[in-house]
Amino acid sequence: MIRTMLALGKLQLQRYNIYKMNFYLFTLNRIIEILVYIFVWQAIYYQTGDAGGFTIQEMTTYYILVITISSFALWGVNEDMAHSIRNGQINRELLNPISYFKYYFGIYLGELAFAIIIGGATFIICSFLFEIVLPQNLINVLLSMFIIILGVPITFFFQMIVGIAGFYTDSIWGMQILRKAIIQIFSGIIAPITLFPMWFQELSKWLPFKELIYTPVSIWLGDISMNDIVFIILKQAIWGIILYFIAKKFFNHAIKNITINGG
Amino acid sequence: MSIIKVENLKKEYKIIEKQNGLFGYFKNLIKPQYREITAVNNINFEIKKGELVGYIGENGAGKSTTIKMLTGLLTPTSGKIIVDGIVPNEKRIQNNRNIGAVFGQKTQLWWDLPVIESFRLIKKMFRIPENEYRKNLKNFTDILNLEELLEKQVKNLSLGQKMRCEIAATFLHNPKIVYLDEPTIGLDVFVKENIRKFIKEINKEKETTVILTTHDLKDIEDVCDRIILLDRGQIIYDGSKQSFKDAYGKYTLAELIVSSKPVNCKEFVHSDSFEIIEETENKIKIKFKHLETTIVNIMNEISKYCIIDDIHMKEAELEEILKEIYKGAYKK
Repeated sequence: MIRTMLALGKLQLQRYNIYKMNFYLFTLNRIIEILVYIFVWQAIYYQTGDAGGFTIQEMTTYYILVITISSFALWGVNEDMAHSIRNGQINRELLNPISYFKYYFGIYLGELAFAIIIGGATFIICSFLFEIVLPQNLINVLLSMFIIILGVPITFFFQMIVGIAGFYTDSIWGMQILRKAIIQIFSGIIAPITLFPMWFQELSKWLPFKELIYTPVSIWLGDISMNDIVFIILKQAIWGIILYFIAKKFFNHAIKNITINGG
Repeated sequence: MSIIKVENLKKEYKIIEKQNGLFGYFKNLIKPQYREITAVNNINFEIKKGELVGYIGENGAGKSTTIKMLTGLLTPTSGKIIVDGIVPNEKRIQNNRNIGAVFGQKTQLWWDLPVIESFRLIKKMFRIPENEYRKNLKNFTDILNLEELLEKQVKNLSLGQKMRCEIAATFLHNPKIVYLDEPTIGLDVFVKENIRKFIKEINKEKETTVILTTHDLKDIEDVCDRIILLDRGQIIYDGSKQSFKDAYGKYTLAELIVSSKPVNCKEFVHSDSFEIIEETENKIKIKFKHLETTIVNIMNEISKYCIIDDIHMKEAELEEILKEIYKGAYKK
């Protein structure tokens, strides 16, 4: 089963690699995104002498890290799912000898692999361009990686829920935009969460999205106490399970619906 | 022992009744009007292991609906399906291990990757043992001439090449049952023959049960032993290909090559014992039954109006018989 999923992931990654320009364009795209954020904050910093409570070097590091890992949370299988629902390819996928979830998780692994490659390249190039604040110790690096990995099931099941909505609506374009907007705001891609109103910060404390990007970066920068970590890990595990059950239930309902009403 | 058993199978769809105009559009948004259609109505059949069954009928007769129910992609409204001991729509994934399916234009090959990559994935997904995989791959490559195609990207293949690869992919895991929903649609004669040959050989070698829907009756003529004929959701014939021909095909076709023919021969010739089914400037196609008349009588009659230069005769083919049935000649 694991081997099948890895094979699927490999194929998905291979699809990206067939088009060689993909790698360069995606990386360039990420770097430009980082530059835009950095220039905005540099402008603010030089005019007001303050970058949202961070030093300008910290803020630069923040955005380099955020954009580097944002692809893990933003990219995924939604486009593929929506496409195959619309053109009827879904029927083929349902004839696979592995479940729909496992099939798409395999594909998602390929997406992740590509995100890691692009993220790595982006980070290395940016570390030549800017001075990056390094974490105080190795434990912080490992810990932020661990939090990122805990986010994988959350990202995946969240995507499945959005994708399965396509069974009912045929088009998930709007849902997909909403999903990305939610992640962009709640995970701190747009701006560090500490800059948002208190009620928003309180809300994001209970939602799982902050941990996809903001928390790992904060751990890297040494802004999170060890006491919070236990809560965070527990929260992510619980959210992972909750989203799994929602996605599963939703899928079962959807599949019943299409096998009764026709695809 | 039958491998597929279908009892009182019925499928009804609810479709939204389209309403005209802007008003109708909003009315539909608020309270859609549904209409029920019965795609498959109370059908029964059993298929034995190793049978080659042609499942035919006009567009919209319910063929694809039946195939989808057999594969578990659709849940029957009522009735029972058992495929190799499994109820497909209840244990879809378990059933998927036993079957292979080709659906017209939909492909299981990865569009932008070389064909062989898709094959390797199938090997992993179905856990095909290495030696079995190699043996099948070699065998299929030989029969279907895939040698040069395996390393090519699927998107660069022609329709015929793609379908040959698709067929190979479908049989790779030695499925017990294969559903082929219009596998030869849009292909040239050589590819069609190639695919038919492949199906027959694999069936002989591995006793694969094949259910084939097609509009090309040469497929049926070549491959199938048994015909199930569907009309408006109901089975109107189920039996061997030969007895189908015997039952419905008791007439003969004659083609007369003629000269100095009046424009419309049909208007002059009146006979109950034969029928002109087609005529062109120098050709007349006639259908008759040996029991009712002879070719000599027909020629006598026709030669009153034109000069007969030559004559060809042939027994009715499946296609002609079906045309008759579709036209309603044999409908009760």
